[in-house]
Amino acid sequence: MLEGAKLIGAGAATIALAGAAVGIGNVFSSLIHSVARNPSLAKQLFGYAILGFALTEAIALFALMMAFLILFVF
Amino acid sequence: MQTTHLQLSPIWPSVRHLAENVWYLTRPSESQIGLMIHLKNQLSVDSEQLQYNSIWQDFLEVMGPIDGNNNSPLEQFSILPLIPMNIGDLYFSFTNSSLFMLLTLSLVLLLVHFVTKNGGGNLVPNAWQSLVELIYDFVLNLVNEQIGGLSGNVKQKFFPCILVTFLFLLFCNLQGMIPYSFTVTSHFLITLGLSFSIFIGITIVGFQRNGLHFLSFSLPAGVPLPLAPFLVLLELIPHCFRALSSGIRLFANMMAGHSSVKILSGSAWTMLCMNNLFYFIGDPGPLFIVLALTGPELGVAISQAHVSTILICIYLNDAINLH
Repeated sequence: MLEGAKLIGAGAATIALAGAAVGIGNVFSSLIHSVARNPSLAKQLFGYAILGFALTEAIALFALMMAFLILFVF
Repeated sequence: MQTTHLQLSPIWPSVRHLAENVWYLTRPSESQIGLMIHLKNQLSVDSEQLQYNSIWQDFLEVMGPIDGNNNSPLEQFSILPLIPMNIGDLYFSFTNSSLFMLLTLSLVLLLVHFVTKNGGGNLVPNAWQSLVELIYDFVLNLVNEQIGGLSGNVKQKFFPCILVTFLFLLFCNLQGMIPYSFTVTSHFLITLGLSFSIFIGITIVGFQRNGLHFLSFSLPAGVPLPLAPFLVLLELIPHCFRALSSGIRLFANMMAGHSSVKILSGSAWTMLCMNNLFYFIGDPGPLFIVLALTGPELGVAISQAHVSTILICIYLNDAINLH
């Protein structure tokens, strides 16, 4: 019973990845838009995009951390 | 289940006693380990019925690292005491975490020392010197971009501290990528300790530079007075949350990255062992999976050190220049 509830909880925690997917997609779509408008800034913008990507990915990892906590700690 | 419990009941107290001993002592004696393995082999005959017994579960959990057949992806993060030291109830052991932190520090110091002092400092740099210069330039540019004064060209008083933080995080993260090594930054005690001390330091710097004007940090200018209490709260909570989030970010990235590498290389190993059907696919496939995972992990290791450093710079700039 507890084992099954844990698995359900960990599975439900991964729903949060939908938001992170939207976020990462948003970061890179904005990058493409901006580079299409002003290609000369491509290098600088790519740096910012990687920063934004890392920050967004970290949010996804919070969800993964919750899943691990549910599975292995409780 | 009830019957087995009754049958085994004379053994259970001793099992429990042993499990607690092994769990709380830093080093169980050889005979204790031998006895536990013997007990486990004896008891696991009817493990079908035992799997819902909580004492049995605890026992297995304790046995895992000793027995050596623990396949949990989180096993790689276990802290093992190398030189056990207990002073009263306090635990001061020299663990593998401290060993790898010392290793990181000595690597950084050695690299910088050899490049700058003896036989280094050349006008035309060799490979090592240009590596260090690259890192130095990278951090200097980053600090100059983020921390600007009113005139734009300020003496970067905090640059050494930020450079050392970056180097420490970078080397810890990269060292963790070596197989069978230990990732220091995958423990949130360490990353939170780092981020909280930096947060406290930044707050002190803010008060030092701006005096009590630093408190205006929590209230944007030109806010109507009735709104002020809410806005102060709304500014203070995210401000304090920064300390937590920058530590958790680093820890979560490192832990999740390493455990996913472990899980997927486990599946690669299973693929490699399926020799019958997938002989030709099964040979280069796992190697490719592990290689393809290591690449992004190296990227994450470097970019997380970068991101942490950028955020430290942004927070420091907020504290110095009062946005």
